[in-house]
Amino acid sequence: MVDQSNVSISAQSISVRRDRRKRNRPPYWMIAPAVFLLAVIVAAPFLVSIYTSFTSLNQYSIGNWLHAPFVGLKNYISAFTQGSAIGASALQSLWVSVAFSLLTTLCITPIGIVAALLVNTPFRGRSWVRALFLIPYVMPVFVNAITWRLLFMNGWGLVDKVLAWLHLASVNTFWLIGPNSFWAMVIADVWSSWPFIYLMVLAGLQGIPNDLYESAYMDGATQVRCFFSITLPSLRPILSLALLLSTLNHFNNFTLPFIMFGTPPSPQADVLPLNVYVTSFQTFNFGLGAAMSLITLVLMMIPAYFYIRMLRLGEATT
Amino acid sequence: MTHSMSLERRFWQRLRIVLLIVFGLAILLPIAYVVLVSLTPDTEVGGGSIFPTHIAWDNYRLMWSTVHLAHDIGNSVLISGCTGVLATLVALLASYVLSRFRFRGRKPFMVSLITMQTIPQVMMLLPLFVILVIIQNALRVHLVGQYVTIIVTYLTFALPFACWLLLSYMANIPIELEEAAQMDGCTRWQVLTRIVLPLILPGMVVTFVFSFLLGWSDVLFASVLTTPSTQTVAVGLQSYIATGESGGSVFWGQLMAASLTSGIPVVVIFLFFQKFIIGGLANGAVKG
Repeated sequence: MVDQSNVSISAQSISVRRDRRKRNRPPYWMIAPAVFLLAVIVAAPFLVSIYTSFTSLNQYSIGNWLHAPFVGLKNYISAFTQGSAIGASALQSLWVSVAFSLLTTLCITPIGIVAALLVNTPFRGRSWVRALFLIPYVMPVFVNAITWRLLFMNGWGLVDKVLAWLHLASVNTFWLIGPNSFWAMVIADVWSSWPFIYLMVLAGLQGIPNDLYESAYMDGATQVRCFFSITLPSLRPILSLALLLSTLNHFNNFTLPFIMFGTPPSPQADVLPLNVYVTSFQTFNFGLGAAMSLITLVLMMIPAYFYIRMLRLGEATT
Repeated sequence: MTHSMSLERRFWQRLRIVLLIVFGLAILLPIAYVVLVSLTPDTEVGGGSIFPTHIAWDNYRLMWSTVHLAHDIGNSVLISGCTGVLATLVALLASYVLSRFRFRGRKPFMVSLITMQTIPQVMMLLPLFVILVIIQNALRVHLVGQYVTIIVTYLTFALPFACWLLLSYMANIPIELEEAAQMDGCTRWQVLTRIVLPLILPGMVVTFVFSFLLGWSDVLFASVLTTPSTQTVAVGLQSYIATGESGGSVFWGQLMAASLTSGIPVVVIFLFFQKFIIGGLANGAVKG
């Protein structure tokens, strides 16, 4: 783009350019609906959320919301100390969420890479395998959550039955309540989200030129060597994007624990979005809920910042 | 040398077959179990044996009357469909302007589009709910539980997503065609409808499908903003579980049958659009 505009410009082309610029004034009316909608349904609620977080708004005071008592930072303080009446404190939820999102991302990355490598080279029935690999991911999350709720049912679920049959654990290993619920959530989430990494890696693998492998093969490099010296370095950009997005998505995952455990969940599985939900819509403590969600938002801005930087908005055309 | 190479190759081939089987089992076993339970009579679910004594097709018949499954699926289709259409059309106009023009506020707008996709949805739901209740109280109208309300609130996540997805498709349409059309005296609107629209149509279809599925899979917004008459299938299925939590017995067989009924069409749609998904994801599409 820059090179082309550096071509010397004659007087005639200047007038053409000026004419064109006039014609190329952005049709603002086209973008107006999007801007208006987003201002009304995202920006305005966001401001309301900030205001709410400084009040003790609840289901009783909402009828007269302008006079809801202003409590300053009290909600933020209690978010870190006590949390909702029936669940874990926000601080505890925060750790659950961080552990959950990092651990699941860590687990699905090697699985996704292996799966992508498995189907990258052609073989008979490959398109069927590719379709199969997509199924856990494209199944609606609420269906996956119900599936795993069934599998983890105490006493008669498939997981308990198989574990008891193998003499690995008691048939009454409680998975959906108590300390195991965190691991149940991780397992269910790994099962339903690994194809995301798989898809990203698969897209990345298309961009690696084949002659790199050919020349490495000529030099007698082993498959393992090729993977660590060619494949993995080439995948780095898309892989880091995938890891970032995966961490973000997992942090915001509400549906899976909500349906698997119901509300309120065990404190060990009380992820932050679920905690905010219970605080806001079951104990109707809107002020505290808003404070907790703003804390979440501030935390999300850290990975989001890197995400935005990675997309390089200023330079690319999109 | 050649001998060791062929040995190595054979090792990797064996490993691939083993891994493919492991992956296949890991994916299919839970699904197979769900299918099995969906065909198990309610009296036998939770019994000693995994396999039922007889296949209970009744589950697939009774599920339509135990909860209002057909009604809920209809609601899901209506709400997700409207969300998809609205998001795609508004995003088409916005992404066209964003990709073809440089103007003040363009970059902040695009940054906020991405930021909106990273915002936890529960954080949007709370103030939206508060605003809706305030308006309801002030104007004495009913908003919570209306189709319009849930569709508009779905746009909070569907619209930024649709804009972003369509932007990547816009970028791949050569601008030369549009310039030529402008030279021939086409207006901006004519350029959009006659040149861009036919080329972006595949992208619009994908955007619609993705937005539709975002709405279909949502549980959070629907569980707060719908009433029994407007509830989506994702919420409807919960009523099976709710009976268990309140002490009743859960109709596991019917629940699994209903889950499969609401999940399989989505899987089929996705697999149909499979080759588009990889491109869409590489462009930063987000699914929760």
